[in-house]
Amino acid sequence: MSSDRRGPRAAWRAVPSGLLATPALAWIALFFVAPVGLVFWYSLGRKPGLYQTHANDVLTLDRYREALGDTFLTSFAGTLRIGLAGTALCLAIGLPFAYWLAVKVRPHRRFVVLALVLVPFWTNFLIRTIGWQVVLSPEGFASRAMQSLGLIDTPFSMLFTRGAVLLGVVYNYLPMMILPLYVALDRVDGSLREASKDLGANRWRTALQVTLPLARPGIAAGLLLVFIPLMGDYVTAAVLGGARGNMVGQLVASQFQQAQNWALGSAMAVVLIVVIALTILATAAVGAACTWLLTHRRRRELAGIAEGSPA
Amino acid sequence: MSSSATRHAVTSARRAGAGDGTGSVELRSVRKSFGGVTVVQDLDLSVNPGEFLSLLGPSGCGKTTTLRMLAGFEQPDSGEVLISGAAVQHLPPHKRDVNTVFQSYALFPHMTVAANIAYGLRQRRGIDRAEIRSRVSEALDMVQMTRFADRKPNRLSGGQQQRVALARALVNRPSVLLLDEPLAALDRKLREDMQVELKLLQSRLGTTFVFVTHDQEEALSMSDRVAVMLNGRIEQIADPYTVYERPATAFVAGFIGQQNFFDGTVADGGRTIEIDGGTVLLAEPVTTPGSGAAAVRVAVRPEAVAVAEAAPDESDGSANALPGTVAAVSLLGDVLQYVVHADAGHELLARVPRRQAGRLAEGARVRCSWAPSDVHVFPAEATPRAPIGSAK
Amino acid sequence: MNHHDHTPRLLAPAARVAGLPRRTFLAGLAAAASVPLLAACGGSKGSGGSGSAAAELRAYSWSAYDDPKVLADFAAKYGPKVLVDSYSSNEEMIAKLAAAKGTSGYDIVIPTGVFVPQMAANGLLQELDHAKLPNLANLDKAFQNQEWDQGNKYTVTKYWGTTGFVYDTRVVKRDLKTWDDFFDAAQKEASGKTSLVDDPGEICAMLCFARGWHQSTTDKAQLDQIETFLVDTLARHIAAFDSSPGSSAIPQGTHALMHCWNGDARRGILASGDQDRWKWVLPGPKTNLWMDNWAIVKGSANADAAHELINYVLDPAVAVKQVDFVGYGSGVTGSEEEAKKLKLGLIDMIFPSAEQLTTMYTGVINEGQERRMAIVNKMKAKAGA
Ligand SMILES: Nc1ncnc2c1ncn2[C@@H]1O[C@H](COP(=O)(O)OP(=O)(O)OP(=O)(O)O)[C@@H](O)[C@H]1O
Ligand SMILES: [Mg+2]
Repeated sequence: MSSDRRGPRAAWRAVPSGLLATPALAWIALFFVAPVGLVFWYSLGRKPGLYQTHANDVLTLDRYREALGDTFLTSFAGTLRIGLAGTALCLAIGLPFAYWLAVKVRPHRRFVVLALVLVPFWTNFLIRTIGWQVVLSPEGFASRAMQSLGLIDTPFSMLFTRGAVLLGVVYNYLPMMILPLYVALDRVDGSLREASKDLGANRWRTALQVTLPLARPGIAAGLLLVFIPLMGDYVTAAVLGGARGNMVGQLVASQFQQAQNWALGSAMAVVLIVVIALTILATAAVGAACTWLLTHRRRRELAGIAEGSPA
Repeated sequence: MSSSATRHAVTSARRAGAGDGTGSVELRSVRKSFGGVTVVQDLDLSVNPGEFLSLLGPSGCGKTTTLRMLAGFEQPDSGEVLISGAAVQHLPPHKRDVNTVFQSYALFPHMTVAANIAYGLRQRRGIDRAEIRSRVSEALDMVQMTRFADRKPNRLSGGQQQRVALARALVNRPSVLLLDEPLAALDRKLREDMQVELKLLQSRLGTTFVFVTHDQEEALSMSDRVAVMLNGRIEQIADPYTVYERPATAFVAGFIGQQNFFDGTVADGGRTIEIDGGTVLLAEPVTTPGSGAAAVRVAVRPEAVAVAEAAPDESDGSANALPGTVAAVSLLGDVLQYVVHADAGHELLARVPRRQAGRLAEGARVRCSWAPSDVHVFPAEATPRAPIGSAK
Repeated sequence: MNHHDHTPRLLAPAARVAGLPRRTFLAGLAAAASVPLLAACGGSKGSGGSGSAAAELRAYSWSAYDDPKVLADFAAKYGPKVLVDSYSSNEEMIAKLAAAKGTSGYDIVIPTGVFVPQMAANGLLQELDHAKLPNLANLDKAFQNQEWDQGNKYTVTKYWGTTGFVYDTRVVKRDLKTWDDFFDAAQKEASGKTSLVDDPGEICAMLCFARGWHQSTTDKAQLDQIETFLVDTLARHIAAFDSSPGSSAIPQGTHALMHCWNGDARRGILASGDQDRWKWVLPGPKTNLWMDNWAIVKGSANADAAHELINYVLDPAVAVKQVDFVGYGSGVTGSEEEAKKLKLGLIDMIFPSAEQLTTMYTGVINEGQERRMAIVNKMKAKAGA
């Protein structure tokens, strides 16, 4: 429990700690900071003509004004809805699964189960999504099977509905949720769960009061790993949701791919990055506030014992 | 461990334990195996209300498993578990009126010390906030951890964590407290202090303690009774004095304290035993199954062996005596310990009070002797001395 | 057949065609990894080989725009393997060539006609050597000497096509003939089962065709009306923006009413289990006409082989295979007769009647492009909301 009181080993003291991070920092600089910086730079420019994508001869914030129009806000609202619903659904499905895997499955079988979880990743992401399109279409497998079972008498189409979008999202992103959750839950010492039960908590209360709070970093990682890529993904939603799967990422991509307006596309990308970051911060703040409020009274009832003051 | 808070805790626990078997523990023909390997077999055990019982035995003998069946973390394959007179083998842990102090303490790292201690009370209905606060405060006071109420467990020392674990369990006023080697992680001095504190606490609270240890001194010094386990069975269950003085089996004899063992055969109608280089005289004749020269094992405690200087050529051949040479001398506080190489090949251990005799030098010729009443005889097929016991 | 007599004027009406993705961007993604479409053994060169030394030709094209068998035969006969990368809009292709400044590594591109003058003016295209294209004589006069490339200095027509819609006769049980019929059905029987081509120019042009406006209008009032109609009226009935319903939506019966190009529609109907279920309409009063063209990239190291390939596909026997594969006309003289002889399926969809041809005209590239993009993005946001 009191594991990290040891100081760093002497050998490591000789290495300036900054040196160890150099490869990672270089990587981040090259593949993250530089591209984002470039996008930011483009966003301050304009599209000078039909055949040029961007120019920075005049610096202006006009692209941001264009980007923040109705279209962007409507698309973003739709995207946020899919992003939040998809992430929540992944959590709702992934959490019990990861819990089961980390707690109930025998250690030597976990590897097999994890491998099965990753099966979808063995094929290209677009191909497996299009695969769902085939399954869900009116002439597809799901409809035929239900017809032959007599459940329905006319072909049904789940394709191009919000349900299909969420199905595709869960299918493509669930492993991203399960893996960090599994790792986090696996790291929660089993004797803590036993201690909780020993002290009178049933398994739900144990999960809520001990296991989940301790797995919080994994839950946060899972939420971010699903939510962030999902907010930028417009392929899954477009393939299965059609017009219902309109995502703001498509808007950005269309500026680059079709309109060849890199300036406006970059401004949209920057706005998107900022808005997603703000959404995450807001969610985290709301989460922290809720936790604080929920535990506030409990903390108060134990406050001041150390000073020996009465309640 | 003072204050009115402690007294309050004492009285309420006593109240809980009053009459009617509350606080009793019973195991009836309990068996448990893991993947075909039997770990606990046909275990019968009965603990009285308010008793301090130790489960003592070598590593892997099934102590923790037995304790976990009491707590409810393991289900026995067969047999019954009774707590306060009621069968509980099908109840989950959170419905049993027992609490556990885990060997690793298992404190919740995301909660403060006070919140850890309050945890059990918060799971129950009908305890209001003021009472939780006062009981947590009492429990902290009891283990002298009030100052640390707001700390997280990872900023406490091992001994402090151990106290918190104890307070967290006792604050619930369970009828039975289960402790799985709670002191094993502490250094020797702290462990000895805690042994005393724990024993005092137990006798004040009157709570039944089932205490698992593989440290025989700890078991002997703290317990009302000791159950010595081997290979999933109880070899002997008795008060510490009896276990020490009259071990039921050679294993118990060897595991508790130290012994000089001799292998020999019964002679003279059960009154003597012939060993290499001598004869052991018995206080009471032994009866051996069957006829003829039955093989037996003889045990004599080191402190029962008297060491006297002898002339180099002396070899009287008298009973209960072996000539030899001092191979090593060591001072263990108040006693001197001699390792004597007997001429017949045995290695004898003898402990004599330091004041009683002059100190013999290494290489001195000696004669080791003991009284017939100090001799214990066991069937020869009994298990050899357990390594843990002899290491002490 | 006799439409060729009329086409010269029809195909060269002053203008330029807006960029038209032939397939969705998604399909482009799937094929994106620069798949060597073709890896036929470049064994012994055929007798007719003019002896170009190139081992491979790199084409940058609309995806699935060549019959793999044709490319394989070419490689077998002349040597060079043809590697194809795909793009989903002319703008994308031009941006890439312009950025590479002659180092793109591509030998061949397939620009839509109206983009050719700008590409030529920006030095992206290489002049053709007609001496190396004896088969150019096979190209119908109607497809030569277009306004955007007088004297076929830079390009040779590869395909031409038009825009219409397909509907499911089980769902829409009446005869649809015009764009107004399309809008009506989309809001009634086919509501929520209608798809549009994922192309701003095509989507905005629909109302123009119906109202008699120029399909590439820059008139603000007209564009405002287009926006109001698309965003407020049509958007909520649209199920998908799919440039290639022929590849899956028609065979799988996903939608009931699909805005699409003739070649794609033909391919979808041919692949459908029940061809009679689907009806193709070239809607009135007006509709689109476009031409995509072979061109050689300035700086190509394999210009000889590129000429060889262009010359090869101008052979009527080869052209008809290409036509059958994509479902668009090739402009090679006699390819329609050849197609009829071979009894290709749904020939009428490849070769519209002369009467139909009179209703088609090309769009232009102009400053309205950005507005059209904004309108369609707004429509998509509305459809997804
Ligand atoms: N969950 C389990 N699965 C399989 N075998 C187990 C399990 N738990 C315990 N055992 C085995 O049962 C035997 C008894 O274990 P137990 O933990 O009860 O021993 P112990 O007496 O507490 O030993 P120690 O003093 O080392 O703690 C050991 O051989 C152990 O390997
Ligand atoms: Mg143990």
